[in-house]
Amino acid sequence: MDFPRRDFLKKTSLLTSGLLLHQELAAAFVAPVAASKLRIGIIGCGDRGTGLLKILQELTDKFEVVALCDDLPFRLAAAQKIGSGAKAKTYTDYHALLDARTVDAVIISVPLNLHFQVAKDALAAGKQVYLEKTMTYDIPQALELVRLAQLRPNQTLQVGHQYRYSPLYYRVKEMIKQGYLGKVTQIDCRWDRNGSWRRPVPEPSLERKINWRMYREYSGGLAAELLSHQMDFINWAFDTHADEVFGTGGIDYYKDGRETYDNVQVMARYAKEGIVGNFGATCGNARDGYLFKLKGTKGTISLLVDEGVYYPEKDTLKQYGTVDGVTGATKITWNKDGGIPITTGAEPLKDGSWYALSDFYRAVNEKKLPDSNVFTGARAACTVHLANKAIYNHTIEKWQPEYNLT
Amino acid sequence: MWLLPPREAALRAFQLNGYAQGTTYAITYYAADSAVTSADVSRKLAEIDASLSLYQSGSLINQFNAAARGVVADRHLKVVVRKALQVYQDTDGRFDATVEPLVRAWGFGTQHTEAPPSAAAIQAILKGVGSEKLHLRGDSLVKDQPAVHLDLNGIAQGYTVDVLAALLESHHIRNYLVELGGEIRVRGRKFPSRELMRIGIERPDTSDLPPTSMQQVIQLEKGGVTTSGNYRKFKRWGAVKSAHLIDPKTGYPFQNELISVTVVAPDALTADAYDNALMGMGLANALAFLQRHASLQAYLIYQRPDGTVADTATPGFQRLLSPE
Repeated sequence: MDFPRRDFLKKTSLLTSGLLLHQELAAAFVAPVAASKLRIGIIGCGDRGTGLLKILQELTDKFEVVALCDDLPFRLAAAQKIGSGAKAKTYTDYHALLDARTVDAVIISVPLNLHFQVAKDALAAGKQVYLEKTMTYDIPQALELVRLAQLRPNQTLQVGHQYRYSPLYYRVKEMIKQGYLGKVTQIDCRWDRNGSWRRPVPEPSLERKINWRMYREYSGGLAAELLSHQMDFINWAFDTHADEVFGTGGIDYYKDGRETYDNVQVMARYAKEGIVGNFGATCGNARDGYLFKLKGTKGTISLLVDEGVYYPEKDTLKQYGTVDGVTGATKITWNKDGGIPITTGAEPLKDGSWYALSDFYRAVNEKKLPDSNVFTGARAACTVHLANKAIYNHTIEKWQPEYNLT
Repeated sequence: MWLLPPREAALRAFQLNGYAQGTTYAITYYAADSAVTSADVSRKLAEIDASLSLYQSGSLINQFNAAARGVVADRHLKVVVRKALQVYQDTDGRFDATVEPLVRAWGFGTQHTEAPPSAAAIQAILKGVGSEKLHLRGDSLVKDQPAVHLDLNGIAQGYTVDVLAALLESHHIRNYLVELGGEIRVRGRKFPSRELMRIGIERPDTSDLPPTSMQQVIQLEKGGVTTSGNYRKFKRWGAVKSAHLIDPKTGYPFQNELISVTVVAPDALTADAYDNALMGMGLANALAFLQRHASLQAYLIYQRPDGTVADTATPGFQRLLSPE
C-alpha cells in the first residue's frame, strides 16, 4: 500500500530546511506583482549564453530577451532559434547593444579575458549586469571592477556562480552553521571528465575563438572554468578565503597544441578556519565526475550539483542509536550506505541558473546586493588567479591584505 | 513442559527490515529462535494492501470508492472503518476518513494542482464529505452517496503495526518493537539488559532547536505511539501557505499553532486516528480533549505567536519520559 506520505518522504527527510528559511527563499523567487519585466540582452551566445537563454524561457514573467550579441554569425542564428530569441535584435558589436536604450540588463557570457572590459563598459552604459564566472581574468581586474561597481550603487552586478543559488546549497550552508558537521578540517573537490574539453570547430581559422578555453591568453583553464564554483562556495559558506595556495598540473594527456593544463591539482589552506581544501580536475578520467565532500568531526556532507547526502560520524550516530524506534510525522530515511539525503522541500530542484536569474531580477528591483556579488566574485577570482599562478609558476601563493574587499 | 515460554536467558534479538506502503518498516523481537520471518511479514502486508491500499488497483477500498452503494467488507476494512467512525464521533468530525476529495482539491493527493480550489468548488466537494454518510451494516460497508470517497491512509500505518504485532503475539512473542513509517507498536523489554524499549520522538527541523538530537525519548511497557505533523508538508500559493491537513468541516486547511502531536494509546490504530484529530483542534482544545480521555497521552509541539517553538505534554506522557 502506498500513502500520500510517500511522495514527500522521498523528497524530504530529517534535513529538510526549516520553515523560516523556506519563507525567505520562496519570497526571493516570487515576483512582486507591480514590478515590470527586465529587458535583457545576452552578450556572447556560446554554450553558456544560449544555456542561460533557455533558462530565461522559463522566466518570461521576469525577463524579456530583447537583444543578442555575438561576433560569430552562426551563433547568433542558432540563438535566434531558441524560444523568444527570434524576437530579439541582433548585434555583432557589443558596444552597439550597450548603446540601445531598450536594454535594461545584460548577461555577459564571453571568454574570460573579455569579462572585465565588457562588464566595465556595461556598467558605464548604465546597465544591470549578470556576469558569468569567473568574474575576471586576474586579480588587478577583480579589484578594479569592485571599485567601478562601488561607484554605481544603483546598478546590480551579479556573478554567475549559479550552483550555490540552488536551495540545496543554501541548506548545506545552514547545516554547517547549525553544527551538523562539527569542526570541518578537510574539503575535497573534483570536477573530472574523460574527454578533450574541446568544442567542434566549423573551420580551422575559428579554433582560438571557439576553443578559447585551451589558450592561456583567454582562459584560466580548468581552475577558472570548473573549480571556481567550489572555491566560491567554500568562501561563501564559511565566510572566508584561502590564505595559502599550492598547485601543480600539466598537459598530461591531450598534447594537441593546447596551452591550459588538462590535469590540475590545487591545495588551499584556510588558516582562520583550520581547513585544508583540495581541488582537482582532470580530462583523463570520469569516474568521480563532480565530487564535493565537506568533512567534519560530527559528519560528512557529500554533494552533487542537485543532490546531497549527510553521513553522521560514528559518535554522532550514537545519538540516534540509543533509541530502539523513532516516531515522527516523517521519519528519517537512511540510505543503504548510512547517509541521510539532504532535501529542500516538496518541489523538485530546478537548474541553479533558474534560481540565480530569479534572484538577479529581485536584486535589480529591490536594489539589494545579490548573494553572489562583486565582492564574493572578486574573492573567488583572486583565489582562482592565485591557483593558476601556483600551478604555472610552481610557487606557493599567499593571500594579500589588499584582496580583502567589503 | 514444551508449552512454557523459553527461559529469558535464551532470548535473542531478531530484526526484520523492509519496504512497505511507500516507506520502510523495522521489527525487533526477542525470542529463542527466528519464529517469525520476512516472508510471514510480507504475506501480512500484502493482505493489508489488498484491502486498504488506494494505490493497488482492485483493492477492496478502491472497489468501494468505485461502487455506487458499497462492498462486502473483509476483516481489515471492518476494523479500521469501525475505529474511524468511532473517532469521527468522538472528535466532533475532526478526524474524517471521507476527507480525501478535499485533500486532492488542495493538491496534496497524487496529482499536482496549479491553484487552490475556489470557494464554490469547496462547497461542491463538501456535499460528498462526512463520515455520517458511511455505515457498517452486517458484513457490508455502504455509503449514502456514490461520491463518498474513503481514504484510510491516515490510520492504515498505525493499523498495520498492530497487525504485525498480533502476528508476533500469535507466535508467543511478548517482547518486540514494530515500526512502519514512524508509527510504532511496542511491548516488553530488551534482552539481556531487561531494559524497556526507548522510543525517540523526531523533532521538527526548525532552526531554533539544537541540531542532530531527538526532541524527547520515552520508555513504555506496551502500547502504540504515533505522530502527526504539519511541519514538512505544505503548499505555497503566492503569499498563502497551506498545510496538508484539511478541516473536513470547512474544507479549508487547519490554521492553528500546532506543529506536531505524538500520541500514546493502548494500540497504534487508536493513536494514529487521534493524532490527526488533535492536530486539527489547536493547542487549547487538544489539551482539554486529552483531559477527558485518560487512555490517551500526548506530546505537543507548537509555535508561539512570536514564532518560537515550544512543547507541552500530558502528565501521563511526562511519566513516560526517559530520565536521560
